Amino acid sequence: MMLGHVAPSGATRKSSTMRYCKIALLFALVALTGCTYNPPNMATTRADGLAAWQQVYSVLTHPRCINCHTATNYPQQGDDRHRHFANVVRGPEGKGVPALQCVTCHQDANADSTGLPGAHDWHLAPLSMKWQDLNDKVLSSAEICGAITDRSKNNNRDGAALLKHHTEEPLVLWAFQPGRRIDGSMRTLPPLTREEFVTATRKWVEAGTPCPQTR
Amino acid sequence: METYKINVNGVSRQVTVDPGTPLLWVLREELKMTGTKYGCGIGACGACTVHLSGVATRSCVVPISLVGNRAVVTIEAMATDPLGRTVQDEWVSLDVVQCGYCQSGQIMSAVALLKSIPKPTDTEIEESMGGNLCRCATYVRIREAIKSASQQLKR
Repeated sequence: MMLGHVAPSGATRKSSTMRYCKIALLFALVALTGCTYNPPNMATTRADGLAAWQQVYSVLTHPRCINCHTATNYPQQGDDRHRHFANVVRGPEGKGVPALQCVTCHQDANADSTGLPGAHDWHLAPLSMKWQDLNDKVLSSAEICGAITDRSKNNNRDGAALLKHHTEEPLVLWAFQPGRRIDGSMRTLPPLTREEFVTATRKWVEAGTPCPQTR
Repeated sequence: METYKINVNGVSRQVTVDPGTPLLWVLREELKMTGTKYGCGIGACGACTVHLSGVATRSCVVPISLVGNRAVVTIEAMATDPLGRTVQDEWVSLDVVQCGYCQSGQIMSAVALLKSIPKPTDTEIEESMGGNLCRCATYVRIREAIKSASQQLKR
């Protein structure tokens, strides 16, 4: 008896032919409609979401973002996150005080000729969105994730709203086009591009905004 | 070079300058309005303070291209502004001024403060005025003049 090879019977040949015809028809339909075959939308796993969150965290804790997410009565500036000069203070609404508002200097766009960064409605994030402690130490990934997903602290934003915030908020977008310093040098950029940041946020949201466990 | 129309103290003015020219230099060099002073050029001292649509603004760091159609008000207009005149009178009454260089900015900031908070506390005065530097250290008299002007206000 020969092993490994069995000559197909007539019934088997017929079903194989049918299968090949169906496949050919499928490709023909795809070609005719111009549509692209997408694999099934696999649910994003928690592990994927946590990995995406770490990417988001890397942007949130960059100076272009965290300088305005302080726990203190003042913003920070510069890559070394020193206290903002000119004695500017937070004020009751995070926009400064009457004769020294954020918009006293910061306009709706970057002023590269004078080295002033700018975007619409320049202001501090509320204290509920502080991402560092009172000693200016950056909070942990778990702590910031916890704060950012706490709807009692984040202006009642769910995952979709967080994604929208990361995609559309002018002050968030500014971080990726922060303008030039007075000496003409470009301000340093976050570790992700804007598109990468939005993609990571989307993946994190799709996974249900998981947070690392507090150690 | 581009041409800009700006409203300064209620008058429409036209200038042709580089878009990146700070408003301070447009006022001083193009419009010959030298009441607003240059102190640092980086928004740190407040000597260049004007009002843009009522907001105290550091004119040395705002390029003319970002002014838009916002009304510019300078120290030159304070004599005819009821609150500005009150502040100036108290500045004179309490002999606030020494060299005088920072005082245009001090008065513009004080007027902005009193327009927003007619009866400011000492803390509110210090926070709002804390960005206006005075090398002659007239701070004590500045604070007293603001409080005195506040008492004159009919609100």
